[in-house]
Amino acid sequence: MTFGEIVFILIMLLTLFSALATALTSSMIYALLSLIVTMFGISGLYIFLNAPFIAMMQILIYVGAISVLIVFAVMIAGPHYLHMKAPKGWTGLSKILTALIVPVFTFFVFVNFIMGTCRTDKKLSVITTKDIGRAFFDTYMLPFELISLLIVVSIIGAIMLALFSKGEK
Amino acid sequence: MTGTLLYNNLNIYLFVALFLLSAGILGMLYRRTLIGMLISLELIMNGAGLNYVAFNRFSKAGDAAGQVFTLFIMGISAAEAAIALGIIILIFRKYKHIEGEKLKEMKD
Repeated sequence: MTFGEIVFILIMLLTLFSALATALTSSMIYALLSLIVTMFGISGLYIFLNAPFIAMMQILIYVGAISVLIVFAVMIAGPHYLHMKAPKGWTGLSKILTALIVPVFTFFVFVNFIMGTCRTDKKLSVITTKDIGRAFFDTYMLPFELISLLIVVSIIGAIMLALFSKGEK
Repeated sequence: MTGTLLYNNLNIYLFVALFLLSAGILGMLYRRTLIGMLISLELIMNGAGLNYVAFNRFSKAGDAAGQVFTLFIMGISAAEAAIALGIIILIFRKYKHIEGEKLKEMKD
């Protein structure tokens, strides 16, 4: 086992455990911090996948922007929701079945149909940031502009929702 | 699987992405507050992005399409988080709580 494999296994275990902690911790702040650790782990996996630009964007966007947005949401909701009680109704059979059905089905498909194919790469293909930029402005020009339009519309919509609509005070 | 390095293998990335999807669905059902559901949704989005990059790396090498679509997913995820934050603020202002189970006016 090489050194790179040991690092890969450590990063993968970090990602898996922090993803589980994100779903299951009782404190909302701990869940948020576990989400940030998960983002760092996934960016490490992106580096192992030869995608350093995506790894950098992962840290910039998720850790830098989205986590801050969720921190704002936690802050606005107040300290009452930081520590949650044990969720009621979780023990209901229907909820457990619903939580299990998609992962079990997907895992079944994964083991039966994909596991056998074992696709590995023959040569190291490098996709540079220049290639990504060319793909953005050649092939995917219209979706790129539409994404920027979507973000502008969502920011304006969030501001309109939060500022100018008067709820029952 | 022998002979190649562990991280040059598609299946292990697919397994990580599947685990992220499962943890996200579990969190969506386990959490009661809207913020917890939002956090779990980010996990699901990340699983999708990891799948895109892994398939791009191993089955269409040399093409940047998968990475471009992962960047699109990140943009959509940011927009969705902003809108969800606005809705959470609005719900908290109107009802003084953000528990998903109690928001059932449109159920009746």
